[in-house]
Amino acid sequence: MNTTPFLADRSRDQIDVVAVIERYGLLAFCAVLVLLTAAVSPAFRSSTNLQNVLTNVAPLAIIVLGQSMVILVRGFDLSVSSVMATAAVIATQFEGAGGLAFPLTLLVTLVMSLIVGLANGFLVTKRDMSPFLATLATMIVLQGLRFAWTRGAPSGRVPPELQLIGAGQFFGVPVNLLVLAVLTLIVWVALAKTPFGRRVYMVGGGPRAAELVGVNVDRTVIACYVASAVLAGIGGLVLVGYVSGVDNWVGRGYELDSIVAAVMGGVALSGGRGSVLGGILGAFLLTVIFNIVLLLGFPVQLQFVVKGLIIILAMAVYRLGGGAAG
Amino acid sequence: MRSSAAFREKGSRVIRVTGVSKSFPGVRALVDVSFEVRSGEVHALLGENGSGKSTLTKIIGGLHQPDEGEIVFDGRPVRWKRPRDAQESGIHVIYQELVMFQDMTVAENVFISNQPTTKFGLVDYKTMEARAAEALRQLGSDVDVRRMVKTLSVAEQQMVEIAKALVGTVKALILDEPTAVIAGREVEFLFNRIRMLSERGVAIVYISHRLEEIFEIADRVTVLKDGRLVGTRDIGDVDRDRLVSMMVGRDLSEYFPPRRPLREDSPIVLEASNISVGDRVKDASLVLRKSEIVGLAGMVGSGRTEFAMAIFGGIPMSSGSVTVGGKTYDRMSSALSIRSGVGLLTENRKSEGLMTQMDIAANICAASLGEITGGLFLDARRELGIAREEMNVFRVAAPGPQTRVIGLSGGNQQKVLFARWVHACKEVLLLDEPTRGVDVGAKAEIYRLIRRLADEGLAILMISSELLEVIGMSDRTLVMRDGRIRGELRGDEINEQSIMALATHR
Amino acid sequence: MIGYFRRNPALLGVLSLIVLLTVIGCLFSKDFRSVQNFQNVFEQSAPLAFTALGQTVVIITRGIDLSIDAQIALLSSLASGIVDSDAQRAIPVVLGVLALGVIIGLITGGLIVALRIHALIVTLGMAAILQGLALLYTLTPVGGIPDGYDFFGYGRVLGVPVGMALAVVLFAIVGFVLTYTRLGRQIYAFGGDPRAATMAGLPTTRVILFTYCLMGLLTAVTAVFLVSRLGVGNPLADGGFNLGSITAVVIGGTMLTGGRGSVLGTLLGVFMVQLLNNLLNFLDVSTFYQWMIQGAIVIVAVSLYVERRRARA
Repeated sequence: MNTTPFLADRSRDQIDVVAVIERYGLLAFCAVLVLLTAAVSPAFRSSTNLQNVLTNVAPLAIIVLGQSMVILVRGFDLSVSSVMATAAVIATQFEGAGGLAFPLTLLVTLVMSLIVGLANGFLVTKRDMSPFLATLATMIVLQGLRFAWTRGAPSGRVPPELQLIGAGQFFGVPVNLLVLAVLTLIVWVALAKTPFGRRVYMVGGGPRAAELVGVNVDRTVIACYVASAVLAGIGGLVLVGYVSGVDNWVGRGYELDSIVAAVMGGVALSGGRGSVLGGILGAFLLTVIFNIVLLLGFPVQLQFVVKGLIIILAMAVYRLGGGAAG
Repeated sequence: MRSSAAFREKGSRVIRVTGVSKSFPGVRALVDVSFEVRSGEVHALLGENGSGKSTLTKIIGGLHQPDEGEIVFDGRPVRWKRPRDAQESGIHVIYQELVMFQDMTVAENVFISNQPTTKFGLVDYKTMEARAAEALRQLGSDVDVRRMVKTLSVAEQQMVEIAKALVGTVKALILDEPTAVIAGREVEFLFNRIRMLSERGVAIVYISHRLEEIFEIADRVTVLKDGRLVGTRDIGDVDRDRLVSMMVGRDLSEYFPPRRPLREDSPIVLEASNISVGDRVKDASLVLRKSEIVGLAGMVGSGRTEFAMAIFGGIPMSSGSVTVGGKTYDRMSSALSIRSGVGLLTENRKSEGLMTQMDIAANICAASLGEITGGLFLDARRELGIAREEMNVFRVAAPGPQTRVIGLSGGNQQKVLFARWVHACKEVLLLDEPTRGVDVGAKAEIYRLIRRLADEGLAILMISSELLEVIGMSDRTLVMRDGRIRGELRGDEINEQSIMALATHR
Repeated sequence: MIGYFRRNPALLGVLSLIVLLTVIGCLFSKDFRSVQNFQNVFEQSAPLAFTALGQTVVIITRGIDLSIDAQIALLSSLASGIVDSDAQRAIPVVLGVLALGVIIGLITGGLIVALRIHALIVTLGMAAILQGLALLYTLTPVGGIPDGYDFFGYGRVLGVPVGMALAVVLFAIVGFVLTYTRLGRQIYAFGGDPRAATMAGLPTTRVILFTYCLMGLLTAVTAVFLVSRLGVGNPLADGGFNLGSITAVVIGGTMLTGGRGSVLGTLLGVFMVQLLNNLLNFLDVSTFYQWMIQGAIVIVAVSLYVERRRARA
C-alpha cells in the first residue's frame, strides 16, 4: 500500500526513449539524409539552390500549419488543395480594380475560406460525417463551382502585392518565409499557451473525455477546420504570387503532401499528439527531399514514388512504435 | 449446492497449469500461479478486478503465451500460439465479449471456425443448419438457426456460444463472467446447462466475482489476488466470509471505513426527478444529501451508468429534470453541472476520464481551465501549483506533476481523477465503479478517501457492481433493475440477499 | 427469391433507380433511347465491372483500394509498351501483366497484414509509387497492339461483347466463392468483426492476401482490356476507376463498414453508374460535373447507408 506522499518534484518529466523515437524517428532519418546530401553534393549546397528551396517551402508549410490543427482533433482536410486553387482564381479576378485589387482579393479569399471551413466543421461535427467524406465533398463542390466560374480556363493577372509576397525578397530573405514565420508563431502560441490550444489537445486526445469536463468539442473542432481553410487560402495566395500564373490545378497534391509532412513531423493521425513545429519541419524536409530527387538527375516522377514510400514508411514507424490502428 | 463427493469420483485432470507468470508493460498480471481442473468438475475462479483471472483465462484459451510456467492439457504439455490451437485441442472459452458475427446467421456462427463441407469442399449449409439446430435443442433453446445473430438477445447469443462448444469435441469449457449480462431465470437456465455439461464429463471453469453464484454451481474454488494464487478449496470447506478475506487479503472489518448514521436532516444538494433516457432509464428519481454516501446497485445493463450520465449531462435525457444549486434544469450539460458543483467520475477512465496523452497537472486541472487562465494565456505556474497541492492531498505517488498519467498505476490514475473532480466540484460527486481496475491495497485507500470526502461535506453517489463495496460503503442503497429504481435500503437492510432480490427477478 | 430481396432491400433500391434513370433518360434524350445506345452502355461497362468486382470484396473486408487507377496506368503502359505491336509477344506479356497484378496485390495485402496499417493509407501510398513507376517507364502513351488483337475489347462471343461476357462469368464465380466456400464465409466474418475473427481462430492473413491478390488480378484484367480497346496504354492514372468502383459498390448496397454486401448489387451498381454517365453525356454535362455528381452520389449513399454510431450511449 502506498503511504508515502509523492516523491521529490522534478521539473522535467522523464524522457521516454521509445516515445521520442516513435515520434521523431522519421524526421531524424530524413534530416540525416538531407545532411548527407549536403555533404556529398555541391549542387545542393549552392546558394541559388538553397534560395530556391527556401522560397519553395512556404506554401506547403502554411498549409501544413492548418492541416496539423485538423489532424490534432482527429480529422484531416482533403479540401485544402481546392481552397488553394480557388484562392488563386480569386486573385486573378480583380485586374481592373487597380489599388483595390489586393485588399479585395484578401477579403474575398477570407470569406471563401471561412465558408469552406465552417462547412467542413459542420459536416464533421453536426452531421457525424467522417472527415474523409466531408472534406472530399467540399473539395468536389468547390472544384465544380470554380470550373463553372472560369469555364475551365482561368486567366488573369495577379496583384503585384501578391507577387511581392510570393516571390519577393526582404534583405535576402524570401518574403513568403517571413509570412510563414509570423503565421507559425501565431498558431504555435495559440496551441501551446492558450486555453483554446489546451482544448484542442484535449479533444484530440479523447473527445468524450473532453466533453465530460465541459469542453465544447464541436466548437473546438469547427475552429480547427476554419483555421485550416483560412491558412489554405493564405497558402494559395502565396503560391499564386510565387508562380504568378494560374491554372485549374494550382495546389494539386498539397492535401496529401500536407498530411504526409504533418505525420512525418510527429503529428499523429490518432489525434491529440504532436506539435505544429514538427509539421513545419516535416514540410521543410519534404520539400528538400523532392529537391534532392530533381538535383540528382532523377525524373520528377520519382517524386511520386518517394512520396508513396514516405507515406508507408511513416505509418509503419508509427504502428511499430505502438500507435493505434488507423 | 453440489455434493463435493460426487465429482471426486470422476476426474482425470484435464487442465493443469503450473507456475505460470505473465507480465505486460507496467504490470505483472500473473505471478507463479498453479491451478488444475478435472473432468466433470465445475471449478470456480474467483478474484477481484485485477486479480489476474482474465489473463489466466486468455492464456488457457491460447490468446496469450505465458512468460514462465507450463500448461498440461489432457496429459500432454502444450504451447499454444493462437486461439485456434487451443480450440482444436478441445478447449472452448466463452469470453465476456461474445465472439459473434452480427450479420451472419446463428448456424454460421456456431460453425464459424469449421464449416461442414460437401464432397466438393463447398460449404454444406443443410448439414450446418441441422447440426446447429440439434445442438441448440440440447441446450433447450428453440432459436431458429437461420436468424441473424443481431436479432438475438444476449442470453440467446450466449447459448449460441455454448452450442459452438457442443458441436466440436469439447473437453474443457471456460466461462468468463457469463452472468454479467444476464439475470434471473436466464441464469438458472445457464446453470442447468452447465450441470448437464459437467455430467457429460466436460471440465468447466467458471469465472466470477459473485459469491452467491459460486456457492450454487461450483465444486471447487480457486482464489486469485493481485496476480497470485491464494488457495484452492473444496466448496464445502469454505464459507462466504472466508472467501472474501481470501479475496481481499485482510479482515473485512479493516477493509471498509465504519458506516455513518443516516442524516435525515442534512440538506438536499441534488434532486433528480423522473428521469428517462430512451429505454435505458425509466422514470428514475433520487435525492442526494450533504455528507451522505448513496450506493446504486444493480446488474450490468440495469441503467445505472446512463442514469448518472443523464444527471450529469453527459448524455441527454428524454424527460425529467435535475435540481441543483436551487435551480431546476430539464436539460443538463457537463459544463452546467461543473458550474453547479457536480462532478462525474466515469466508468471507463481510459476512454472517458483521463486525458491519456497529457500529464498529471493537465489532468487535474482539466475541469478547471478557467481557474488557470490569466488573460489570454494559460498560467503554467498556477497549474503546477494546483497539481502539486492536490497530489499531496490525494497522495498520488509519482515523480512530479509533469509525469504522464499513462504510466501510473490504476489506483493512482483514479486518484488523479478524484483530484480533478474534487478540485472543480464542491457539492456533488457521482462515482461510477470507482475502484475498477484498482488493486486491493489502493482500494482500501480509496474507500477511506470517499468517506473523508463525504465527511467534509460532499454528497456522493456510488455506482458499483461489487456487492461487497456497496454494502460496505453506502449509508443508503438504491437498487436499479431494467432502468427503474426498484427500492431503497437503509441500515441493516443493506445486505446481499435484499440487494439481489431487488436487482433480479427472483 | 422474394426472400432474397427482402433481406437485401438495397438491391431493390438500385433496381428501381436503374429503371427510373432509364425512364428519365428516354424521356429527355433522343440519343439515349436507341437500342444501339443501350448495347454500347452494356459493352462499355466491362472495365468498371472488373474493378468494381474486386473493390466489392475489398470493401467487404472493411478495406478500400485507392490504387486502382495507378495500377492500371502502370500495367497498361507496360502491356502496350512491351508488346509494341509484336504478335509473338502478346500472350506472354498478357500473362506477365496478370501475374504482376497479383504480385502487386500480394505486396499491398502483405503490407496491410504485416504493418497493420489501414488499407486506405497503404493503397494511397501504393498509388503514388505505382504512378511514379508508370511515369518513369513512359511519359506518354507508347507502343501498341498487333492487328487482330482487339478481340478482347471489341469482339463478340455468341452475340455478347467479350468483355462483359467475361465480367459476368467472373461475377458469378466470385459470388459463388463468397457464398459457398469456407474462404468466402471467412471473408464476410473478418469484415464483420476483425477482432472476433481472430479470436475465432480464422485465417485472417489468408483472407486479406486473397482479397488483395484478387483485386490486383482484376485490375490487371481491366488494364489488358483497356489496352485491347484503346490500342495503347495510358501512363496517367486518370481513369476514374477509384471513385467509380467505390460508387458502384456502395450503390449496390455493400456498406463501407464491412461484413455485408453482394456482387449482384455491385453489378447493378455498375450499370447504374454507366447509365448515369451515359445520360449525363447526352445531356451535355461536362465531365467536371459528372465527377462532382459521382462524388455526391457516394456521399449521399454512404450517409444513408451508414448506421450512425451511437455518439452518446
